[in-house]
Amino acid sequence: MAQNINPHYASSSNPAKQNEDTIKLKDNHAVSKRLQKELMELMRCADKGISAFPESENLFKWIGTINGPQETVYAGHKYKLSLEFPNSYPYAPPMVKFITPCFHPNVDTCGLICLDILKDKWTALYDVRTVLLSIQSLLAEPNTHSPLNQQASYLWPNQPAYKKYVDEFYNKHRDS
Amino acid sequence: MKVTVKSWTGVATWRWVANDDNCGICRMPFDSCCPDCKLPGDDCPLVWGACSHCFHIHCIVKWLHSQPQQQCPMCRQDWKFNNK
Repeated sequence: MAQNINPHYASSSNPAKQNEDTIKLKDNHAVSKRLQKELMELMRCADKGISAFPESENLFKWIGTINGPQETVYAGHKYKLSLEFPNSYPYAPPMVKFITPCFHPNVDTCGLICLDILKDKWTALYDVRTVLLSIQSLLAEPNTHSPLNQQASYLWPNQPAYKKYVDEFYNKHRDS
Repeated sequence: MKVTVKSWTGVATWRWVANDDNCGICRMPFDSCCPDCKLPGDDCPLVWGACSHCFHIHCIVKWLHSQPQQQCPMCRQDWKFNNK
């Protein structure tokens, strides 16, 4: 059968597509390799207060957890996040979102996070570990000048009231 | 006693002299190659920036191509290849 294929077809349309596919596969392979390294490293030396693991067999989607930093209004809270890695990782940042609703000046109601290292300050040297540690410190030190959540930003200076609100918010939404 | 050497086989090892073990971009050992290459060595060399940071050449070129500004991913200084 294969001999009966019009050689003109075979040479004009197929190789281009094939080439595209192999490039994509090659890239995917490199990304998987790096993500596997990161996973091994995370499991080998577990940091306190953060963890992450692929959601399923798909290595490009992870679930991370962050414990609220000690001696802050978030102490005792545990937040789940989703991390999605593009095919261009680590040359482009992962897409990171809170799954557990989080009341915070730099987190919106959909869980989107405003953090420079996830956007224009990303570098290929960051990884899952440093991203989660950065978000953990963002919880402790919000940027109240460009808030996504105005109410949280407004309430932040009044820490006792903030603590009371954030505890109620967390207990109400933690399982949603 | 008299010894006659009939044949011998030379063995050599090599390694890159870098200030780190792994490439920070791909996380592969410097003595291995970047994930896009098959064989380590001269086909997948290391390069140094003027800032003294070192990467697989393929990794740093890919990084610089993907960015609007040409900065070292380690220290954010303007990237210049160090031709030492």
